[in-house]
Amino acid sequence: MTEFLQQLVNGLSLGAIYALIALGYTMVYGVLRFINFAHSDVFMVGAFAGLYLAPLAHAGSILGGLLVTGGAMLAASLLGVAIERLAYRPLRHAPTLNVLITAIGVSCLLQSAGQLVFGAAPRSFPVIFPARALSVGGLDFSSNQVVVLVFAAALVVGLRLIVFHTRMGAALRAVSQNPRAARLMGIDNDVVIRFTFALGSALAGAGGVLYAVNYPTIDPLMGVLPGLKAFVAAILGGIGSIPGAALGGLLLGLVETFVGGSEYSTYKDAIAFALLILFLLFRPAGLLGKSRIEKV
Amino acid sequence: MRHPVFGLLLALILGGTLSALSDRIDPYHLDVLIGVGINVVLAVSLNLVAGHTGQFSLGHAGFMAVGAYAAAAVTIFLGPRLLGDDPPGGLAENTLFGGALLAGGLAAALAGLLVGIPSLRLRGDYLALVTLGFGEIIRVLLQNFEPLGGALGLNGIPAYTTVAWVVAAGAATVFTVGCLVRSSYGLGFLAVRDDEIAASAAGLDPARYKVVAFTVGAFFAGIAGGLFGHFKMTITPSGFDFSRSIEIVVMVILGGLGNTIGVILAAVLLTLLPEFLRPVAEYRLVLYSLLLIGLMLARPQGLFSFRTPRPAPRS
Amino acid sequence: MSTPLLQLSQATVRFGGLTAVDALDLTLGERELVGLIGPNGAGKTTAFNLITGLYPPASGSVTFAGRPLAGLPPHRIVAAGIARTFQNIRLFGSLSVLDHVRVAGNLHRTAAPWQALVRLSSFRESEAAVTRRAEELLALFNLERFRDIPARSLPYGEQRRLEIVRALATRPRLLLLDEPAAGLNPQEKIELVALIQRVHREFDLTILLVEHSMKVVMGVCQRIAVLDHGKKIAEGPPAAIRRDPAVIEAYLGPDHATALFHH
Repeated sequence: MTEFLQQLVNGLSLGAIYALIALGYTMVYGVLRFINFAHSDVFMVGAFAGLYLAPLAHAGSILGGLLVTGGAMLAASLLGVAIERLAYRPLRHAPTLNVLITAIGVSCLLQSAGQLVFGAAPRSFPVIFPARALSVGGLDFSSNQVVVLVFAAALVVGLRLIVFHTRMGAALRAVSQNPRAARLMGIDNDVVIRFTFALGSALAGAGGVLYAVNYPTIDPLMGVLPGLKAFVAAILGGIGSIPGAALGGLLLGLVETFVGGSEYSTYKDAIAFALLILFLLFRPAGLLGKSRIEKV
Repeated sequence: MRHPVFGLLLALILGGTLSALSDRIDPYHLDVLIGVGINVVLAVSLNLVAGHTGQFSLGHAGFMAVGAYAAAAVTIFLGPRLLGDDPPGGLAENTLFGGALLAGGLAAALAGLLVGIPSLRLRGDYLALVTLGFGEIIRVLLQNFEPLGGALGLNGIPAYTTVAWVVAAGAATVFTVGCLVRSSYGLGFLAVRDDEIAASAAGLDPARYKVVAFTVGAFFAGIAGGLFGHFKMTITPSGFDFSRSIEIVVMVILGGLGNTIGVILAAVLLTLLPEFLRPVAEYRLVLYSLLLIGLMLARPQGLFSFRTPRPAPRS
Repeated sequence: MSTPLLQLSQATVRFGGLTAVDALDLTLGERELVGLIGPNGAGKTTAFNLITGLYPPASGSVTFAGRPLAGLPPHRIVAAGIARTFQNIRLFGSLSVLDHVRVAGNLHRTAAPWQALVRLSSFRESEAAVTRRAEELLALFNLERFRDIPARSLPYGEQRRLEIVRALATRPRLLLLDEPAAGLNPQEKIELVALIQRVHREFDLTILLVEHSMKVVMGVCQRIAVLDHGKKIAEGPPAAIRRDPAVIEAYLGPDHATALFHH
């Protein structure tokens, strides 16, 4: 039982990070209908931003940790907006396939440029939040896992507030439901799209730092697998759905952690894709999504 | 190459000449040549799936892996028993290698069939993601399969791959894909890509075309894998990862989706380019990705696409 | 009476809570030319999509030449002998005019696909036959001069005609035309009426025509069925439909009891 609860905590903290990345995928998919492959590398850049900011801020205290994470979110956010402006906006009316390929190109570019700038070897990530080993009722976990869970929960709640209780959030929802009608209602789609990228990338940046806090080395290719898995999480939850992305992320984190703790641990990395294929075959709309009918 | 048969003849002459001269060609150049040939097979076979049929696949390296492992398993485990004392380079050895390549192709085709089936319900980026997932699943399965070396890979594969084999495989791929898409049957691949609903209204079965494209494409990727393994003499699961698939995709995009000659040129160019870029090797991937992005922004039809739609052959 | 060619009985299509086609009964005999009309959103195109297998029926049945079509995918329904055109023209963006007709000739190709690799004389004959038939069809419809140009660069009216030719290349017994006159000018509409009558006569076909243009429908159809909100509200010869109060009401609302189709 203790073992189970232990794995539950581990799974939830991994899932929380998937959820943070998945939110960015799902929001961009909502407004532009394509997989932003570069999102996983924005996540990586977020982690590196944290690495470089740590010595500047008073890292090691709660406030310092918050500052570092906030700075990383800002950096990721700027990067996301720049990518959208330079690579995706010129393709607004191009076929999806072209945008998809461009996204793959941007992803490769960030990875290879990252290897040049940050170095290809794994770097150890400094302690930015006060780290303590906690023990509650026979459960051992680190304070960092608590930080991840609390932070992720706060960000998801914050995102919900923005999306459902601000004018910009309403515009975002309008654009993702019907971009043309939104434009006719006087919404500047470009502004909304830029805002979506800023918001989604900030979440990925936070995810990068929180990931690095728990898995103490980072490298320029660190985003690839978590990124893909987070997109899978977004599909599991129902692409375009914010609670769906959070749910899918937690679910995937849990499943992976439990498989990782079992005798099939070496198959851990294949689980997400097996789930993806099963879902796309039998429930393509995901857990919380709606299906559509093609009009002829 | 107006007619596929002429192309085939040309390839025969080329292959014959090259293997006759192979003793006099610098081994380094020979290696580059083999690399070019393998990439042509990969790119042209992916072009059938992604270019002609419009099914964007990010798992081509996975099929290559299946072929590489299956072919290597044949020569490593069956080879010593079948060859006995036959001299190296003899007929028996080449027959064994041909059989091994065929086995690799068929194993990959089976994998292609398995991927083709879910593709029936998906399109665009969802399909890309599923093929990517399949590629990764194949990689993880190979990593866990100890009889074939597990994560460390398979070593000691005999170096059977020669220029002649590579040219033959390249010619067979180009010929097969070319003949298929030029036949009235093969027009269906293009029709399915352009508009599935209209294709079914013209009596074509889109599902069937997609599965055929995936299976045939995977078959040749498997052969390319077999050639690759018997060229490098060692293969690891991580050598067939996502970035390998992307490399093949870039060749197809650069050449122009559905444009066979452009794709061949792109495969040649992208295999030779790294050789010329050796002095700046660490910038290679940066250049690649900038090339890809720039191409999508400036010339989405591919670098080598100048054509107007080709007229149907007068028969 | 012999078995009807096409029979819809109580056929129903639902999208979520919306009933797009509601318990539709429709019978077409051999060589009939029937019109299906109704206001926007009446369910005409949905009925086509039901017959051609794009949408499954929620209840009821569709039979063709005595054979139930339920569960058959669209291409099998084409093979059974039902071809169609689309309201918003659906041509293949990368194929030439001739290739549109060749690709639709695949159902009657004699060589197996793999024979393309062996290229025996039987394969060449089969390919030649497919091309020859396609050329003949193009010639019949005055499209042969466009033979090698991409279909998307055809003038609009010719695109509509090419869609009909593509449908005919599958050698159907029943042809469904979905608003073939949409977007045509008055002169083209007159030509279209003549074309439909010619196809009906020369190809020995049954035709079901969805059309907005009353001129076209009244001009060519022997019988007309009227849909409104998914239900059939009237059926009969053009002259009777013209005067049917339910039809007039459906088109103009209850206050317009004046005759709609008199000019």
